[in-house]
Amino acid sequence: MTAEANGGAFRKGYDSVKVPAPGGGMRSLTRKQFESLPLRERVAYLIDGTAQFFLDGTPIAASDAMRT
Amino acid sequence: MSMARKALEMTQAAAEAIVQRAEARFSANRKESLASTDRMFAGLMLAQWAFAIFIALVFSPYGWQGKTKAVHMHVWVALLLGAVISSLPVALAWLRPGETLTRHTIAVGQMLWSALLIHLSGGRIETHFHVFGSLAFLSFYRDWPVLITATVVVATDHLLRGILWPESVYGITNPEWWRFLEHAFWVVFCISVLIPSCMRGVKDMRVMAERGAELEALSENQWRNQSVLERAANDDHSDR
Repeated sequence: MTAEANGGAFRKGYDSVKVPAPGGGMRSLTRKQFESLPLRERVAYLIDGTAQFFLDGTPIAASDAMRT
Repeated sequence: MSMARKALEMTQAAAEAIVQRAEARFSANRKESLASTDRMFAGLMLAQWAFAIFIALVFSPYGWQGKTKAVHMHVWVALLLGAVISSLPVALAWLRPGETLTRHTIAVGQMLWSALLIHLSGGRIETHFHVFGSLAFLSFYRDWPVLITATVVVATDHLLRGILWPESVYGITNPEWWRFLEHAFWVVFCISVLIPSCMRGVKDMRVMAERGAELEALSENQWRNQSVLERAANDDHSDR
């Protein structure tokens, strides 16, 4: 459920992320695992737009994910 | 140089700049938080000094020695010892705000204030609450070693005065030898909760700084996408 879907009353942000894997393809991380990555790496994914954010399995925009 | 390589280098440079700005923001916020706590304690030191003189005047009124009116010794203790205890912490808070030495000196001074107030009130158990209030105030620094310094000072004070002048700290002349351990236990109990809270506070500050960096990165991404679209539109326009 996105912020728009529930009128912004409760914003959960995201619960999982897919980021490029070192050997190619994508790897899935929980929010906690993503937040444990070095800041430099997280920032690089966000600049490139290569991180895909999900909430309850539904893709959400990075800007929505970063709100909470 | 290939386009992909160039793009990667641009991303790395932008990420580095954003991370450095986040670090600078975190350091600046941390320093400001420490300095503002130093200033708070400088004010508190002076307020405690005034309060100690008031306590000494009220609880230890003028004594009479024959026909001579004399100021009670406790008033001088409050005035002079209070000045000694407060002067260095206040000076450091004024001259070197935010520095490690300043907050540890303030922690020592604050615990010595507890000791002086306990002494001036004749070892009243209620005045011992000042120790716990002070520990809570010191936790505003969100720097847990400061609490260790304070604990060492208060435990040492209770141990030494408990041996040399027990009435001054417990209000009785013959306390059990282990009484200071009981007091120290409650201090350790208190800081065992405050220390994790301090650590969490610093972590929260870092998370805030990192969140700022992530938002900056998103903004950079949007700016890049916008630039690509504008370039494509311009190219399209030129082709026609």
